Amino acid sequence: MTKKQRKKLPERRLPEMNERRNSVFGGILGDNIVLSGLMVISPVIICGDNVRNAEALIYAFTAITFFSVMIASFVPKSIPYTLKVVIYAIISSLVYIPVRLAAEEYYPEAITRIGIYFPLLAVNSLIVFQTEARFFRMKKLRMMFTLIFCILGFDAVMLLTAVIRELLAYGTINSRMADADTLISGLSQPFGGFIMLGLMCGAYRWIRSAARREKDSSRSVTDVSGK
Amino acid sequence: MYLVNDIIALLAANLILMQALGTSTLFIAAGSRKNLIATALCITVFTTIGSAAAYLIDSSLPVDYDYFKLLIYTLTVSVMYVSMLTALYFTARENFERYRKYIHLSAFNCAVMGTLFTISGKAADDSSYMNICSYVRGGLEAGAGFVIASLMLTVAYRKLNSSKVPASFRGFPAMLIYLGIISMAVYSLK
Amino acid sequence: MITLIVLETMSYFYCGTRALALGGLCVAVSLAADFLSVRAMGRRFTADDLTCTSDGLIIALMLPTVIDYKIAAIACVFAVIAAKNVFGGRRNIIFSPAAAAYVFVLTSWGKKLLAYPEPYVRSSVFEKPEKLTASASSSFNVTGKVNCSDFELLMGKFAGPAGTVSVLLLLIAAVMLIMRNDISAGAFIGTISGTGLFAYIVPVGDSRIGSLKYSIAMNMVLFAAIYIISDRRIAPERNYFAFFYGFFISAFAYTIVLTNAKENAIVIVSVLFTPVALGFKNLEKRINNAIDDEKAAEEAAGEEAPGDE
Repeated sequence: MTKKQRKKLPERRLPEMNERRNSVFGGILGDNIVLSGLMVISPVIICGDNVRNAEALIYAFTAITFFSVMIASFVPKSIPYTLKVVIYAIISSLVYIPVRLAAEEYYPEAITRIGIYFPLLAVNSLIVFQTEARFFRMKKLRMMFTLIFCILGFDAVMLLTAVIRELLAYGTINSRMADADTLISGLSQPFGGFIMLGLMCGAYRWIRSAARREKDSSRSVTDVSGK
Repeated sequence: MYLVNDIIALLAANLILMQALGTSTLFIAAGSRKNLIATALCITVFTTIGSAAAYLIDSSLPVDYDYFKLLIYTLTVSVMYVSMLTALYFTARENFERYRKYIHLSAFNCAVMGTLFTISGKAADDSSYMNICSYVRGGLEAGAGFVIASLMLTVAYRKLNSSKVPASFRGFPAMLIYLGIISMAVYSLK
Repeated sequence: MITLIVLETMSYFYCGTRALALGGLCVAVSLAADFLSVRAMGRRFTADDLTCTSDGLIIALMLPTVIDYKIAAIACVFAVIAAKNVFGGRRNIIFSPAAAAYVFVLTSWGKKLLAYPEPYVRSSVFEKPEKLTASASSSFNVTGKVNCSDFELLMGKFAGPAGTVSVLLLLIAAVMLIMRNDISAGAFIGTISGTGLFAYIVPVGDSRIGSLKYSIAMNMVLFAAIYIISDRRIAPERNYFAFFYGFFISAFAYTIVLTNAKENAIVIVSVLFTPVALGFKNLEKRINNAIDDEKAAEEAAGEEAPGDE
């Protein structure tokens, strides 16, 4: 839709459309699955201490989640919830097999380092529960875009965490030396992941509420000027 | 005296503090005593019975079919999930609606699947663990670890959700940092 | 704060101007971090918020004077932001900020934290002694022996964190702070009793008296008993709960020292036992609520009775 066309729309439709657009893109910023939904946090905490691990996890999560949810979207809605959950889990376990085989080609060392967190990505709560609660209530195309942005949200958090932790803990970025003066080796450990993620969640919430406050105040100013 | 060392060893292998498995479920469990007891019980049942089943699977699955391990574990957990729901329905029908959510929460959970893979990995590295007692003990320890972590979070729950905590950190972010500092103390004792 | 300043002055006499510089840096960084984080929370920075300076000084006294200034600064920032203000600051303390910072430095820079200059080797602000040694606590944990006389022990003439070795000063500080009701007497007595009892029953070395004496003087037990475990912000309010809280921490820590020769285990255990302290506090709150409800019921019954007559 062009700017001219949007200007011609009645005013009441604009907030609705903005809301729908925001909910599609919300997976990255407004409603990030890691920072807001606290889903799939184990790999971020344990394995998100260097960029190489993060790349392998991003690839695995993206492939498994996207294909699993898209295939699961064809499961008939009439099946009882319990059986649907089981079917979703089985679908993602089957999708895991070719993803794992491909990962062994491209990231053989990372697979060993990531260990059990690789198969655990296949049974993450986004696939098993959120599909039913969120994605399958939407139309297919909208669901696909929302899913892509949710996945991108995880990828962004994973990458950001990995870059910061690798830089501060090892003094490298993607195994290349960076000019880091004092290294905090504790950040490479699980407790470092917990603390780092907690601080990131807090910062994310603070930024989100500040952005919402600004939006609300600009909206109220517009309303007043409209009168 | 060595009880202290055993406690430290138990904490050092804690699935939440050291492996961050089941953290989201933990946050839900710590919210109230009822949630804590029900979720901890469900998780312990799943990890214990699941570990026993994992032993049977690992001892009969050929090494070449390692890729199918996740699928077989998922099928096993599915059978347990459906069985537990069925058992709950027929034994406590009036409370079925209230308690089924704990089974939903505990079944396909990183804590349960992660425990099965951890125990399986340990047995693959050290053949002395390749027996049913070690597997079941591992499952029970995982359940106990979940209970300990839940208790640690429950005592601090009110403080971490208090209005004195800055709004941005109230709830989950503060809980993550709290668990992180406890985990740091356990790590330094290892 | 006064007792901390006295300990800091003593550490200057042992270690030179570097000790003062480290103390000053820790206080300044703690103050700055607290000011910025309090303002970020939308609150005014008041005189009550100056308690962060005590935490900074406690951290400085627990670190070796020759440690990198950057590490000390990072420790103070961690203590103020991650261990304190994230949970609501001084109004909602969960962990002892200094203890959490110490454990953070131990896990991230363990080797640098546990290397100390020889006693009375003084360094200037930017100077570091070439020869560093393990602490007397470390050799006591492993061998059960300490190479210093009782007088030297009292005066603090042995390798270790400069602020935690002056046993005599620490004892005087403990008495003073208990009399002023600034620290929890129950927690302090519980910690010392626990360490003493276990050190006597299951001695580290050959001699029970030696084990008792050195177990309290070494491994920061006395310092932690005063400034970390007996901190009123964390210890239970009622003295009998506080006694058991201190007792369990010291017993656990002593066992770790005995079996694993872990240096300064009491500081680590005090962080680990935070849920226990919170559990005691929850129990105290319930007891207080029950007492208040009972009083209110009695008052209500008392008011009704004259009406009935």
